Amino acid sequence: MSAARSAGEAAARAPQPPPTATRGTAVIELRDVSQWYGNVVAVNDVSFDLEPGITGLLGPNGAGKSTLLHLMAGFLRPSAGTVLAFGEPTWRHPELYRRVGLVQEREAVYRSLSGWDFVRLNARLHGVADARAATARAIERVDLGAAAHRATGTYSKGMKQRIKIAAAIVHDPELLLLDEPFSGADPRQRLQMMEMLRAMASEGRTILFSSHILEEMERLGERVLVIVAGRLAASGDFRAIRRLMTDRPHTFAIRSSDDRVLARALLAETAVRGVELGDGRLVVRTDDFGRFVTAAPRVARDAAVTITELYPLDESLESVFEYLVSR
Amino acid sequence: MTWLIVSLTLRQLLGQRRTWLLVLLALAPVLIAVIFRLTTDGVRDPREFVADGVMSNVMINLVLPLAALIFGTAALGQEFEDGTAPYLFAKPLARWRIAVAKVLAAWMGTAGVVGASVLATGVIALVGGTMDLIVPAFMVAAVLGALAYAALFVCLSVLFERALVIGLIYVFVWEALITSLAPGAAYLSVRAYTLGVARALADTPATIFSAQLGGAASFGALALVVLLTLGYAIRRLGSLEIARRA
Repeated sequence: MSAARSAGEAAARAPQPPPTATRGTAVIELRDVSQWYGNVVAVNDVSFDLEPGITGLLGPNGAGKSTLLHLMAGFLRPSAGTVLAFGEPTWRHPELYRRVGLVQEREAVYRSLSGWDFVRLNARLHGVADARAATARAIERVDLGAAAHRATGTYSKGMKQRIKIAAAIVHDPELLLLDEPFSGADPRQRLQMMEMLRAMASEGRTILFSSHILEEMERLGERVLVIVAGRLAASGDFRAIRRLMTDRPHTFAIRSSDDRVLARALLAETAVRGVELGDGRLVVRTDDFGRFVTAAPRVARDAAVTITELYPLDESLESVFEYLVSR
Repeated sequence: MTWLIVSLTLRQLLGQRRTWLLVLLALAPVLIAVIFRLTTDGVRDPREFVADGVMSNVMINLVLPLAALIFGTAALGQEFEDGTAPYLFAKPLARWRIAVAKVLAAWMGTAGVVGASVLATGVIALVGGTMDLIVPAFMVAAVLGALAYAALFVCLSVLFERALVIGLIYVFVWEALITSLAPGAAYLSVRAYTLGVARALADTPATIFSAQLGGAASFGALALVVLLTLGYAIRRLGSLEIARRA
């Protein structure tokens, strides 16, 4: 008993990397998973493995990201297929929560509790041996020490996100699932949280976060799963997927001092596939986003044309996803 | 661990506004007792006023089921409504433990409010006269009735999102209306079991206060309600997909 206690205290002082999470091991496995609500298919035949490190789950709103996270968290019974965490089915397996932390999207916290009490409650519900030390460590990790003794009901949205993360990591989980963790956080808090997740991943943990914002993926997601309309549209290294996204055909609208002259000049560029004149603007299609955006100002200057406006016509995230799905 | 969930739930229940409306409701019988003491003409037997009047008609028919309904449906239902349920369910806790803790919390809240009201009402109305074990009998009956109602309403909150509305229909349509029109319906009424227990424990003459069901049947029926509804709540909670409710 005393040996166990001293081991627990030592662990409380210096968090150790999780023993079982090693690179190359699938922590989460989804095989042919579908989930439907009545006639609505939320997740459609999705398979993937999740390994230690950070993975981003990217997709537009309503794509099925939360449903996937809930399946991985054991909060839904898959309508078809299997969802395993550490080799065990996640559905009806509460013991798995010793190794899993979940940050849900809803802002909900026990409003009357202070941040400290809220995190400590979570530690005690997890049966953490030294709940006080674990609470202090988790609160320090999310940098909320100064506000720890205030009621969570008085917290800003960003602070609530951080206290929710503290509650989810208080038992030192090997797998952390976060649903839209950066929503409501200001840019500084966002960077801080990203830094924290990176540090946790470097300790060998597996972190999956969902987002519908490409830039968040860019900054954090080493690997990315792109989900569109319940289907896995792409998965793998973020940079490769980002390249696919930027190398797709783009369409720009340009307003200038002389659209005809500019159209003729642009057609000479190899990056430009076609131009159209009309509606008081010039619409340009290009295969090469990078080359076009550097070429356009030069071409305009050489042709002595002033560009007054240049904007993409298909930059919405949805159109990017549509393109990925159609490939 | 169970007690941790119980204390958390009690804290949540006491923090909600409707609890304080309930406390006001529980003060109504006390106020009636005070008015009775101040205005009594000495003709009416205080025991009849307390047992048949204020305890049966106000306390057991109204205050007890409403208190249990509010605590019972909120104990778990509020967690789903507020979105705090994942904090409980994403823990290495067996779901039966959560169900038991929620019933215990709803029971303690209900028994506390109603028990205090029974004690204050009975003492104010009867002190100085013949008490006939009326107060202890109704105390025990209210506490046992609170347990059966709490288990029933927690079970409803596992099964339905609109447990409060369904519970209100049970209390006011089934227990109040149907049982008065068709006395046989009392066999499926927690209120009738509660009154049966009070009747069995009080040594008041039947001319002063009577109940539809006998003591043994009432005790047995209350135990059966607790076992069946708690058992069913545990079973259904075990397979509840939290994401569909939270």
